[in-house]
Formats: sequence, structure tokens, C-alpha cells
Amino acid sequence: MAATNGAHDATPSADDIRGLVRPDHVHRRAYADPSIFALELERIFGRLWIYVAHESQLKKHGDFVRTRLAQHEVIVTRHNDGQIYVLHNRCPHRGARICMVDQGTSRLFSCPYHAWVFRSDGSLSSVPHRKSYPESFSFDDPQNHMRRIGQVQSYGGFVFATLNENPEPLTKHLGRMTEVIDNLVDRAPDGEIEVADSSFTLQYRGNWKLHPENAADIFHPSFVHSSSVMPARRAPANASTIDNDQTREMLLANGFGNDEWENIQLSGLAGGHTFMTSFYSSGVLANQDADPVFARYHQALVARHGAEKAAQILGVRRFNNIVYPNLIINAQYQQMRITIPIDVDRTVVRIHCFRLKGAPEAMFHRAIRFLSNIGSPASMIFSDDVEMLERCQQGLEREAVSWIDFSRGMDADQRGADGSVSGAASEMPMRVQFQAWVDYMTAEANA
Amino acid sequence: MLDYRTQRRIELFLFEEAKLLDSGQFEAWLKLYEPHGIYWMPSQRGQTDPLNVASIIYEDHAILSIRVARLLEARALVLTPMPHTTHLLANIEAAQIGEAEFTAHAAFVGIEYQAEKQKIYSGRSTHRLVREGDSFRIAEKRVDLLNCDGTHVPMTIPL
Repeated sequence: MAATNGAHDATPSADDIRGLVRPDHVHRRAYADPSIFALELERIFGRLWIYVAHESQLKKHGDFVRTRLAQHEVIVTRHNDGQIYVLHNRCPHRGARICMVDQGTSRLFSCPYHAWVFRSDGSLSSVPHRKSYPESFSFDDPQNHMRRIGQVQSYGGFVFATLNENPEPLTKHLGRMTEVIDNLVDRAPDGEIEVADSSFTLQYRGNWKLHPENAADIFHPSFVHSSSVMPARRAPANASTIDNDQTREMLLANGFGNDEWENIQLSGLAGGHTFMTSFYSSGVLANQDADPVFARYHQALVARHGAEKAAQILGVRRFNNIVYPNLIINAQYQQMRITIPIDVDRTVVRIHCFRLKGAPEAMFHRAIRFLSNIGSPASMIFSDDVEMLERCQQGLEREAVSWIDFSRGMDADQRGADGSVSGAASEMPMRVQFQAWVDYMTAEANA
Repeated sequence: MLDYRTQRRIELFLFEEAKLLDSGQFEAWLKLYEPHGIYWMPSQRGQTDPLNVASIIYEDHAILSIRVARLLEARALVLTPMPHTTHLLANIEAAQIGEAEFTAHAAFVGIEYQAEKQKIYSGRSTHRLVREGDSFRIAEKRVDLLNCDGTHVPMTIPL
């Protein structure tokens, strides 16, 4: 870490933290100070409910997913008792990492070093040459098990875990963000969704907060994405034979002007969650019955729910629903992103899409193309976002400017009785995220 | 086995493609493709399905032409400063699969330099070529990256 980071070695106090966030400005240390990052792992990623897997990846006994929870690598498993377990990916014997793949099916996990073998709930199944271990060595001793994360809960198939021994109920943390999970599930004519088995993992040299901020920022697309908006505007419509013009429409959608800025409604909720109204509103992205694929999908949805409920489900057009701190869901296009902090200046983003069971195959093909267009490393959209996130980090690592500005739209924020805030043409979502950040980071001092 | 002259012509065609990319002549590069030609970079090893499995790139000529226009747009952030590349091809094995249709399998290394940083890409490529006069057009180019399913950073110039 460069000396220019101005790192403070001691754990920042609650007053230090509060001193970094003003109503309209944030201090650069929030992004560049390793001691702040360490505290975020403890108080945000270590205490809040964090998304770890989707149940569709854990259908049968032995199915597992490897991911991160705060600073830990964990594996999420389905055991033969039907329960989902989250286990530290570490052998209790000598500390070796056990699982070296991201996903798979295995009813037993064995450490290759001295062949301790564990069941999918983490319990110890066998050790070779049992008699050489002491008399007191017990298979029932949790010390000899893969260590479990105590708190695991699901909502609508989304599995969350927390290192917090005494967390608030998951649904309380999610608040109104349960609506977007419900809506995503409701969009499946069979009432079930599945994570696609292809996804992208991208890495950027920047703080984790930059990504959710960017996902809630409606001002940057016109500028950051102009190099793809302009060529898309010049390109003829319906020239592609493989995607019903979806790529061109997606690129065009980032060409914002004053009307779009003023008409996109932004919402911020207690707890730091935010969302915006949709802006993909033309071509195959618009959900129109003139489109034969959508018409068939619509029929299937009506057959399950009736016309009124189907219209209500499809009428929910909330884009970039950001479940604080790091889960982003777009129900309308069946997309999900997870922001995974690695270091103060290093972040991984995993990008997935879902299959709506009972929907025409072509609907899934569109979700796959959406995923590729926005989440591929060769994306003509996200690659420019990543470039900006990295440039922000490069600037924030320098002492020259201490405070950055989130004041836009502040005078027009509308506050609701439930603690929500709404606005248009605003940086309100970042203000809401940082208010929550201060609350979580200082929660211990306030208790 | 393919006659030496045709094998050599195919090699020279692939070298020409590499040279156009290395010299920033992206519009000329696109002209090597058939009007409905496809560029495919899978995200999974041995991927056979571009519709149900996400691809790093799966684009036809129409979408590629937007990508090329973006490469030439002065405003593209990820292309500032403009990266430069060296595309290397080796182990080229060409075969005839139809009257005027050929495949060419090759190993590649692509080196990209931008803003004091060098990135290395490697893998195998497969071209499906159709004869056109004395030369060829690309019906499909498939690029199988060594790290197709790995953790990526933004990619810029096509491989």
C-alpha cells in the first residue's frame, strides 16, 4: 500500500467514522484507508445479512457453491437433512483450504493433506489411522468439524448468511427489497427461477462501494457510455440476425438527456437499499405483445396468475435494486450482480442471470444476451464503467482532494414517513448508502 | 491433407487479419467477415451453445460493426489511451470442409499494451473460411481463451 494512502493504523473510532460523512460530502478515506476497509469487513460484511447462494444451485444433497463472506472463503452446501449450511473452507486439522472449485456436487469433502473427511454439514466423517489420535479425540467435537457460520436464512430462494450471532430477522433487513425478489419469482410462469450455469467474474482496482454507487447513478451513462451510444444511434435498426436488435437497444438506452434524468424516479430506503424506475423501454426490452416471444410468455403468465395479477407483475419496473451492501437485482431482465470486497482497492463483481421456469426458451436467451452485453469483460457498457471506477480510486488514493461531492438533487429530496427518500436527477442514492454506512459502522458505539 | 498452396494462402489470410488488428485498421478487419459472419468468444471450455450459455462475445457482422465504430470513437474511456496489440498465430492446421469452405485451427498469443501496462491473452482460435476469388471471407471465428471462465478485467481490441 502506497504511503500516499494516508492509512491510519489504529481502528477508527465512531467519531472518526462520523467525521468522514457530511450530508453532501464524503471523505476520501472512506475509499482509500485500509483501516476503514478492515472495519467494513467486520461491521458491514461481518454483521449484515450477505447473499451467499441461490437455492437453485443447491437442489440436492451434496450440491455446493464456493463464495466469500467478509474476509472468509466459505462453501454453501445442501446436506441430507435438507438444510443449507455455510462452512469455512478450511480444514480444522492443519488449516488447509479444502474445496478448490466454485461449484459442484460432493456429499463428502476431504482434506487432501491428512485425509480428514467431512460431511456436507461440516461434521467429521472419518480420519485415517484413528488409533494414533489421542483417546480424547472426538468426532463429535465441533473443534474437529469444518466451522459453520451459525446464521443462514433464505428469502424467495436467495440464501443469506451472517457472522453476526444475533442478527435482526432477514426480512427486516431486506424491508421493501423483498418486493423485488417476490417480483422476480412471480415473473416465472411456473413460480420458480433458476440461476443460469454461466456467469461472469470481473475484477477492478477500486473500492467495493464504487460499484453499487455507480449502479445507482443515473447521471454517468450519457457521458461514460457515449462511445457505444453514438455508434448504436448510427447503426441501422434490425440489422443483426442473432439478437432481435437487443444489443443495439441496450446501447441506445444509455443515451440520456434531460427528460430521462428528470423522469427516472430514484428511491432510497432505510438500511441503505436503493432502486430506480426502469429505463430500458424500447424494442425487445420493452415487453410488448407485438413481440411474439413476449406474447407467448405473457400468455403463460396469464394462464398461471390471471390477467390482472400478470399485468401487476409485469408492471413492476424497478431497475438496479441494490440490497445493501452488495446485491443488485434486476427482476425485469432476470439479472443479478454481487459485489465482493477483496481489499480496500480491489473488488470482484459476479454477474449472473436467471431462467424463469415455464417461460419460452427465447426469454432465457434474452436474459443470457443481457448478461453478455452488460457483464462480459468485453462488454461495450460495463468496461467503460470499470475504467471510471478505477480512475476514481486512483484519484481518491491521493491526498490532494480530501472531500468528494454527493450534493446533486439534495434540495429536492422527498422524505416519506417510513424513512424512505425519493428524488429525480439526484445523487440521493449515494447519500442514502452513506447514511446507512455510518449507522452500521458506528452501531456498536450507539448500542 | 490440404495442398501446400491453399494451406499457405490460409496462413497468409490469418496473418493479414492479425496485422489489421495490430495496426488499428478495424474497419478493414471487419471487411474480412462475411455479411452474416460471426465472432464468438465462449465463456466456458468446450462451449457448444451460444444461446443458453453466456459468451464473452457472440456477435454477428451488424453488432461487430457497432463494436468497431466504438473502437474508432475518440470518447471510449476504456480505450484511452488507445491500446496497441501484437497478435501472434502458430500451429496453424487448415482443412477443407466443403467445396469452397475451410477451417483453420491455430494457437494464439495476444499481447496488449496500454497506459504502462501489458496484458497477455492466449488460447486457440478456429476460423471457418469461405473462398472468395483469390482470398477468403470469415464465416465464423471462434476464440477459446485459456482463461475463458476465469476472473477477467475489461477487454478492448478483439483477439
